[in-house]
Amino acid sequence: MSTVAQSTQPSAARASFVPTGSGLSFGGLLRSESIKLWSLRSTYWSFSLVIVAAVGIALLMSFAMSATFDSTNGALGVDNAQLFVLVSTAGLALGQLIVAVLGVLSISGEYSSGMIKSTLTAVPNRLPALWAKVTVLFSFTFLVGLFSVVASFLVAVPILGAKNISVNLFDSAVLLPLLGNALFLALIAVFAIGIGTIVRSSAGGIASALGIILLLPTVVGLFSMLVGWVADIMPFLFTSAGSEMITPNTMESWQAFLVVLAWVVVSLGAAALLLKRRDA
Amino acid sequence: MIQAQSLTKHYGSKTAVDAVDFTVQPGKVTGFLGPNGAGKSTTMRMIVGLDRPSAGSVIVNGKPYHEHKAPLREVGVLLDAKAVHTGRSAYNHLRAMAATHSIPTSRVHEVINLTGLESVARKRVGGFSLGMGQRLGIAAALLGDPATLILDEPVNGLDPEGVQWVRKLTKQLAAEGRTVLLSSHLMSEMALTADHIIVLGRGRVIADASVADIIKSAAQDAVRVRTPHTVALATLLAQADVTITNVEPDVLEISGLTVNEIGDRAAAAQISLHELSAVSASLEEAYMKLTQNEVEYRTGDASSHTEAEVAR
Repeated sequence: MSTVAQSTQPSAARASFVPTGSGLSFGGLLRSESIKLWSLRSTYWSFSLVIVAAVGIALLMSFAMSATFDSTNGALGVDNAQLFVLVSTAGLALGQLIVAVLGVLSISGEYSSGMIKSTLTAVPNRLPALWAKVTVLFSFTFLVGLFSVVASFLVAVPILGAKNISVNLFDSAVLLPLLGNALFLALIAVFAIGIGTIVRSSAGGIASALGIILLLPTVVGLFSMLVGWVADIMPFLFTSAGSEMITPNTMESWQAFLVVLAWVVVSLGAAALLLKRRDA
Repeated sequence: MIQAQSLTKHYGSKTAVDAVDFTVQPGKVTGFLGPNGAGKSTTMRMIVGLDRPSAGSVIVNGKPYHEHKAPLREVGVLLDAKAVHTGRSAYNHLRAMAATHSIPTSRVHEVINLTGLESVARKRVGGFSLGMGQRLGIAAALLGDPATLILDEPVNGLDPEGVQWVRKLTKQLAAEGRTVLLSSHLMSEMALTADHIIVLGRGRVIADASVADIIKSAAQDAVRVRTPHTVALATLLAQADVTITNVEPDVLEISGLTVNEIGDRAAAAQISLHELSAVSASLEEAYMKLTQNEVEYRTGDASSHTEAEVAR
């Protein structure tokens, strides 16, 4: 057979071209999404801002606390671990809004620029591209969140230490809440990717994500003043469940974590369904 | 090879592509031709799975596009110049695309050189001109060294040198045994580049043949005759299947008769002819004739409008 093929060399150019080389893989998609994330300036801006806000507010808060420490005579009503957690995570509230915007933009930016067509022709089954984007943004946001809270903790140590307030970072009453905050931050980014995929527009996506994170608790809070039972919904809102994950109030930490996961799963589930179904 | 079978796409009540059947063969450049809104882009989007067909199917290299293990190595596609995030550099865009298929960075540099983007590769795509965007799109299409290339209006916005480059490139790729499908609404461009043409009009295939066959079937060859006795000649030649147009005071264009027939008859009737020549139809004319009933957005006829105004 092969000798026959050899002898028909002149007509070989007419034969169909056979493609060779490496194919699509999830590892490749993860690399691709990392390149995409880190080749946009907005990523650097957003993550820097998360860190600066966290550390800046931690600095401000620990100075304020140490300044008023003598007058309050140390009677802040919280133990040292709670105090350090409060100081280390206060600035992350702004970070949450930033990563929500970043999450929405990571996909809506592809729609508004037309990049999505390139992405989906490379990954015609579509969903692996979404999962890769989610994995990459989740991982980096978690790392940035963790860095933010640990750095915040470390700047607070000498300032509060001067007033003899000190705890061990690896005390589970400190470490677990810090990890929880970083985890919630990363889950907000993932939730926002879902919203961005559903809405497909930057303005609409940002408005929806921030609406759910910022506005919904206020609106439900106001309604609960009119209709009593509405107050029972409160803990099940995305933002409330996120904070209950760290400082349990009406439910256990793990229950709050499940509520947060449910929000993320619904957002991503709807996103996956629509991404698969709709024309790009 | 691309094979479409009763491929259909509806957008609401509008039918963009209406049960088209066609096969794009490897080893030659196939032109996808049609006026704006004919369904060329929609068909291309369906081939690579961006749009889901309302009915029918299309397969590339033997399978539906999404079933391929290495889609970018099967099909390289340029859909429109700006399928790139504007905040990213050309280099990083290509690197991100290459990473999905573990295509080495050396190939990214190769396609950058091939498309002449070296000087702007590190700049953000947002500042690119239409021509540079087009080159980047072609670079992305070539990235996987694919067996099939689908290029939607590839010469749009390119300078004359770039147009010529695309012409050479597509012919070379076809000669390597690849399938090359490119769309255009410019017949003149197609005449120079394509071997085979599929003409679409209002979502239907109007013609699917080699360039020579299209010209033959759609436009009749005419004969140009220069004579001082136009009236006498016209009267002499008038019959049912002959059309005679007086294009200049002493020039007639006659179709339905051969050069020989006209010459002989004129000689027999002793009408002197100063010029007698065959005028072959251009692809442009063939195309206009094919699509004259299929143009969706027709330019208003300004002259007749003015006449109407004057008459009033």
